[in-house]
Amino acid sequence: MDSALIPKGVERCPLGRFLAFIAIVGAVLLWGVVAMFLIYIKGLNQTNMNNAYGFALWIWADLAVIALGGGAFFTGLLRYIFGKAELKNIINYAVLIGFVCYSSALLILAIDVGQPLRAWFIFWHANVHSMLTEVAFCLTCYFGVLTIEYIPLILENRQIERISFFRHLAHNMHGIMAVFAATGAFLSFFHQGSLGGVSGVLYGRPFGFRSGIGIWPWTFFLYTWSAAACGPCFTILVTRITEMATRKKLVKDEVIDLLAKIAGWMLVTYIAAKIVDTVYWAAVTAPAMGFTLMDFYTNNPGSAYGLWILIAEVGLCGVLPALMLIAPSVRRNARLLFLAVLLAVLGACLNRWVMILQMQAVPVLPFERWFTYFPSWQEIATTILPVAYGIILIAFSYRYLPIFPQEAELNPLPEGGR
Amino acid sequence: MKIDRRSFLAFVLGGAAGTALSPLPWKLTDDISIWTQNWPWTPVPPKGETTYVDSTCTLCPGGCGIRVRRVEDRVVKIEGRNDHPVNRGGICPLGAAGAQLLYSPWRVRQPLKKMDGRFVPVSWEQAIGEIAGVLRELREAGTPEAVAWIADTDRGTTAELCRRFLTVYGSPNFIRTPCAQDAWETALYLTQGQRATAGFDLERATFLLSLGSGLLEGWGTPPFVFRARGALKDNNGRFVQAEARLSKTAAKADQWLPILPGSEGTLAFGLIHVLLKEGRERKPFVAAHTAGLEELKRQALQEAFSPEAVAQATGLEAKAVVELARAFAAAERPLAVCGRGAGRVPGGLQETLAVHFLNALVGSVNVEGGVIAVPEPEYIRWPEPEMDAVASKGMQTPRVDGAGSERYPHARYLLNRLPEALLQGDRPAVRVLFVSGGNPFYSLAGGERTEKALARIPLIVSFSPFLDETAAAAHYILPAPTHLERWEDVPGAAGYPKPVVGLARPVVPPRFATMPTADVVLRLARRLGGPIRAAFPWESHEACLRQTLGPAWETLRRKGFAVEEGFKPQPFETASRKFEFANADLKRLAAFRPLPAPGDPGAFKLTLVPFDTLRLTAALGAPPFLVKALESEILLKNDIRVEIHPQTARDLGLADGADARITTPQGSARVKVYLTEGIRPGLVGMARGLGRGAHDRYLAGKGVSANRLLALVEDPSSGLEAGWGIRARLERA
Amino acid sequence: MDQPKNKRYGMVIDLDKCTGCGACMVACMAENNIPFRDDDTDKLLSVSWMHVYRLSNGKPFPQAEECFLPRPCQHCEGEHGHSPCVSVCPATATDYDMHTGIVSQIYTRCFGCRYCMAACPYHVRQFNWWDPVWPEGMERALNPDVSVRMRGVVEKCSFCYSRYQTALNRAYVEGRRELAEEEYQTACAQACPAGAIVFGDLNNPRHRVHRIVQPDLAHGGRPRNPKAFRLLERLGTHPKVYYLTGRDWVRRAGDNEVQKS
Ligand SMILES: Nc1nc2c(c(=O)[nH]1)N[C@H]1C(S)=C(S)[C@@H](COP(=O)(O)OP(=O)(O)OC[C@H]3O[C@@H](n4cnc5c(=O)[nH]c(N)nc54)[C@H](O)[C@@H]3O)O[C@H]1N2
Ligand SMILES: Nc1nc2c(c(=O)[nH]1)N[C@H]1C(S)=C(S)[C@@H](COP(=O)(O)OP(=O)(O)OC[C@H]3O[C@@H](n4cnc5c(=O)[nH]c(N)nc54)[C@H](O)[C@@H]3O)O[C@H]1N2
Ligand code: SF4
Ligand code: SF4
Ligand code: SF4
Ligand code: SF4
Ligand code: SF4
Ligand SMILES: [Mo]
Repeated sequence: MDSALIPKGVERCPLGRFLAFIAIVGAVLLWGVVAMFLIYIKGLNQTNMNNAYGFALWIWADLAVIALGGGAFFTGLLRYIFGKAELKNIINYAVLIGFVCYSSALLILAIDVGQPLRAWFIFWHANVHSMLTEVAFCLTCYFGVLTIEYIPLILENRQIERISFFRHLAHNMHGIMAVFAATGAFLSFFHQGSLGGVSGVLYGRPFGFRSGIGIWPWTFFLYTWSAAACGPCFTILVTRITEMATRKKLVKDEVIDLLAKIAGWMLVTYIAAKIVDTVYWAAVTAPAMGFTLMDFYTNNPGSAYGLWILIAEVGLCGVLPALMLIAPSVRRNARLLFLAVLLAVLGACLNRWVMILQMQAVPVLPFERWFTYFPSWQEIATTILPVAYGIILIAFSYRYLPIFPQEAELNPLPEGGR
Repeated sequence: MKIDRRSFLAFVLGGAAGTALSPLPWKLTDDISIWTQNWPWTPVPPKGETTYVDSTCTLCPGGCGIRVRRVEDRVVKIEGRNDHPVNRGGICPLGAAGAQLLYSPWRVRQPLKKMDGRFVPVSWEQAIGEIAGVLRELREAGTPEAVAWIADTDRGTTAELCRRFLTVYGSPNFIRTPCAQDAWETALYLTQGQRATAGFDLERATFLLSLGSGLLEGWGTPPFVFRARGALKDNNGRFVQAEARLSKTAAKADQWLPILPGSEGTLAFGLIHVLLKEGRERKPFVAAHTAGLEELKRQALQEAFSPEAVAQATGLEAKAVVELARAFAAAERPLAVCGRGAGRVPGGLQETLAVHFLNALVGSVNVEGGVIAVPEPEYIRWPEPEMDAVASKGMQTPRVDGAGSERYPHARYLLNRLPEALLQGDRPAVRVLFVSGGNPFYSLAGGERTEKALARIPLIVSFSPFLDETAAAAHYILPAPTHLERWEDVPGAAGYPKPVVGLARPVVPPRFATMPTADVVLRLARRLGGPIRAAFPWESHEACLRQTLGPAWETLRRKGFAVEEGFKPQPFETASRKFEFANADLKRLAAFRPLPAPGDPGAFKLTLVPFDTLRLTAALGAPPFLVKALESEILLKNDIRVEIHPQTARDLGLADGADARITTPQGSARVKVYLTEGIRPGLVGMARGLGRGAHDRYLAGKGVSANRLLALVEDPSSGLEAGWGIRARLERA
Repeated sequence: MDQPKNKRYGMVIDLDKCTGCGACMVACMAENNIPFRDDDTDKLLSVSWMHVYRLSNGKPFPQAEECFLPRPCQHCEGEHGHSPCVSVCPATATDYDMHTGIVSQIYTRCFGCRYCMAACPYHVRQFNWWDPVWPEGMERALNPDVSVRMRGVVEKCSFCYSRYQTALNRAYVEGRRELAEEEYQTACAQACPAGAIVFGDLNNPRHRVHRIVQPDLAHGGRPRNPKAFRLLERLGTHPKVYYLTGRDWVRRAGDNEVQKS
């Protein structure tokens, strides 16, 4: 049964080993599920959030995975709209990673809200002024798009493919994938952007607030930009990790190199914009609200929110990986490439972290002090839950679906193989 | 029909699509969300007709007018009465939380009797019968004076009925719980010859000097005092607070004089010294209305009260003392007050006298903006009861607390001396103790020794509506209805400068099988028969009230209060008809001497000073809303935080929030520290009102009680409780 | 239809009169069915629509000074009613009422995303982390005019909106369309024993709030009274709660405009 499901021309580890691996990750998943039910039954008091930290680990995780899932829309855009044909060799995986990221994001949101059974009010009683409304609509639609993009992959499973209806369906869906890619890119532009708008429009929170164009603060554009830059880095990172885990080369170097090069230039332009934004914010936006830059950073040594965090985000995890990725020699060194994409990914995560958590930690009322927060085990478990779920989904998809078109070519089977 | 894989899949997919398009999932989603809006475990308060009932709050001696909002027969809100002269619409946090006392699940629902250490419900009949039996035995044994009664007030029909019961029974041992008014009443009597309580015309004073009084921490009637302080501000008056810590009162004063604790009396004498030395007393008043100034000069012009010496004693600068005295004398209507904190500890009589002298020197006695002698209400005029021989003999015995004895001739009640008296002899002097309204098991200082003393009493009867510390220690609890379920006449409002009587009424029917304390007294009297029964010709407390008030009853019932608007203070009733700075009685008092904090300063380097807060209560347990409103600077989880200066903290190696152990000669307790620049280095500030051994789960077991760490300190001039602090040690825990 | 002129209900709190007693907090709790828990000492987990802050001037003993600052919802007007919290709520569970200027909160619509909490710079909004539980019997004191909130939703001070409705209903029954100043008062203003809180219509020149602050309605309601200030004036939230003080340090502690310029 198992071997009948495995794609033709590739080799997979023994079923026992696969199941053992799934069992280990499944245990972690189960831990998260237990925490999730605890939260559903007992309420959000199971977290360490409080009235000053209404948004915490989860919202950060949400924003981070969505940024990193940006590889799907951006790779799709490059492949289908800009005609970067080589990228067809990684698009499947980019879509899969995107699907994992977005489904995780929705799952986390469903845990995060105080009244999950009413979460649909966001659609029913939608407030057009709210960035979260925009996020919810675009996110849901885009998740639908990702699902549509993922389905043909499932249909390409050896057994499913044998049913002619599904074969045809997959074929036709592939045919019109450009339409979905375009839709996805459009939706992504808005939901990545509106996520940036989430803190950017908070004019009661000078740390997060940004001026902008029309209803969109600069963070709207910066978020989309950073997702387009760092999402592909995450795709590369996960591909590399998958290659390490499977001890196989799965995607050809030229493909990775192309994606890395594009990501590098995106990162260069993004980080330049980010620096301009930071300077303008520190010099104009914040002072207009009565705040100086140093009001936003604690000078207690060892504090979580010292100036170091800005330097780390913009310099170490921004400028540095950008420069590394645009340098062909660095890009082509496997270790340095790994380091560069890792830094870029951390940079995106750090950016989402400060924009959500530091934004709330900064005292706004002059007589208040810095607020502190450390997540509870339930929050950590439910945040790891989607990671475990993602690993399992990727593992199954890799095992049973033809995710990597170049795998067979790169890993010819020994004589006597299937 | 054979179902192949294809048709099966089509069926599943078609079914899913069909279900999604049907109204079912949408209806379910909607239903589920409606369910979250009506969770059966979230209460829905029933609607009903809203009515308002005016009454009087009896939760403290304030007697504020309250307006109670009811929905059907439920009390949902208590507000201040806008038309009430004392509080004029304002209300304190305790009064506002009053409904939580009515509906507290920790109320005593029927008479309880302690058997084998546990309370069991008994009938009223049985409880009253058994207690009457013990009373009869004591009387038969010829020792009626072994019965004592502690009450939180000695005014109003309930208190008078209790006292009358004791009298005809044969015991002089009716004891009112102590407070600052004890010292003031004595001071008024000694200097003005008037049996009156002190009222303070705070609203019209233009310079208010408070010697440690927590004017914004429960002193007097909080809504009245607060409003008066606002008026002072509006009138551009001046308010000076002399106190060792930056209390809320000090924080709101125009000037805070951080004097050494316990030096209030010395400061008062120092101010008198400057006034007299510089001839700044108000000469027309002093000449026309006072006597004995020479004696006061002899006393106050001593070197010990010179600005330099006073500076030394108070920690102020000599210049500041002189300036304060001059500013006080120069003000149009200056007024000095004392009674530390909320005024729950009477303090030394000489100290109160010094403050009163200060007022007299500037002419602020019985005048607008000054101290006013408010006569005790006189509407209770019952015929003298007939006493039998046992009663007469009993009434001849000295009071167990020594009040009125040769040593303390002017004291009326000395609850603080009761514990020591109880420890004397093989058999405790008190065999039966009734407690109505007070909570001595919690509020009496003295730690274990006090506890041991009270535990010697073989029969304790509590009338508390709640399971408080005294009730928990009692042998019988005969629960009274709460302030919202009973009739009560409420004479006087603490510190209010006019005679006023309020009426508390049953706003709702009693929730439980409770009985007003006065009715218990009537029934006990009936049981005991003879002259005791004859002294109580009333059917019930309500009947007694109607009859006692006479025509005033209807007015009170309609309006809710009666105030003597055009009240003019009575002329002085001393032999000289003047305010006497000196006379024979005053001369006999022990001389003024600042009382040190008990304990060896060598072993205990710090001084613990308790403070009061309106977000806690003194005797009555704080209802949940008050505990909720309590600052995290005072209570953190279950730990009380004590205030210390950062310098003190550095010396002790303690950081803000650190766990520590405080030890006094009386005991030791775990605390957390709170660092503040608002306290003098070397002091430890601790809020009163926590560390409850009984009450509800929102209050019980939180923090420690300052009373347990404090010692009883007897004022040598009056016998009154005068402790203001105790030496202490603080260590890292 | 003759629409009555819009109201702009607001509050002035005299910080020099406020004694920090907490009667306003308790009155609000009783009026608005605020739940309580065994341990309410962590104020960041506790619900209290009114919170009294304790401010200090930061100077050493004996120059230390303290001031108490009661903080209800500021009922920010923002620009055209886009208060920081209202514009962000995705489910329209909170709203700016143009007729009264009151920022409402609809508990049964709120689904607990807490975006509004993140948006409010005054830490006014509080979340129901727990199911509210009243000990047996005490639920009898609940006010039927104010709904009890369920776990998982955000709540905040409503300027005692139910009192407004009650007053308005009464006026309508009596054939009136306008409320007199004293007819609609909040529970905290009514309870305050120090008379520190004054409540009324900022648009109405006869109301005390208007006379005290002399709001410049063309400029977001900036106070013209030099003793009056608003918390974080510079953010442009245009609160309708004003504070009075004669002490400079208190003003600096509450108003970042004074501090930085
Ligand atoms: N060490 C120390 N001793 C003190 C004080 C202090 O602060 N410290 N304060 C002193 C002062 S100033 C005062 S006024 C008193 C305060 O004590 P009181 O004035 O006596 O206190 P209250 O708060 O009036 O009443 C509190 C007790 O009476 C019960 N109670 C409440 N209502 C009723 C009722 O209707 N009927 C009956 N029978 N009982 C009722 C409650 O259960 C509670 O235990 O204590 C005095 N003693
Ligand atoms: N939240 C909260 N509020 C409280 C309390 C609490 O524990 N918590 N405690 C309550 C208690 S127990 C008290 S004692 C009060 C504090 O108030 P009280 O205990 O009443 O304090 P006093 O010392 O009586 O008030 C100050 C002065 O008022 C005068 N005075 C007192 N009684 C009378 C009187 O009957 N008539 C006249 N004319 N003058 C009088 C005396 O001269 C006295 O010096 O605060 C009450 N308020
Ligand atoms: S001050 Fe006293 S009488 Fe007045 S409301 Fe408060 S508790 Fe009641
Ligand atoms: S009730 Fe009045 S005085 Fe008391 S804390 Fe509130 S505003 Fe201040
Ligand atoms: S204070 Fe906060 S909750 Fe109130 S209106 Fe302003 S932003 Fe909204
Ligand atoms: S928590 Fe409720 S009120 Fe606040 S933004 Fe979310 S849905 Fe709106
Ligand atoms: S206005 Fe009403 S709801 Fe707001 S704090 Fe005051 S009492 Fe509470
Ligand atoms: Mo008292």
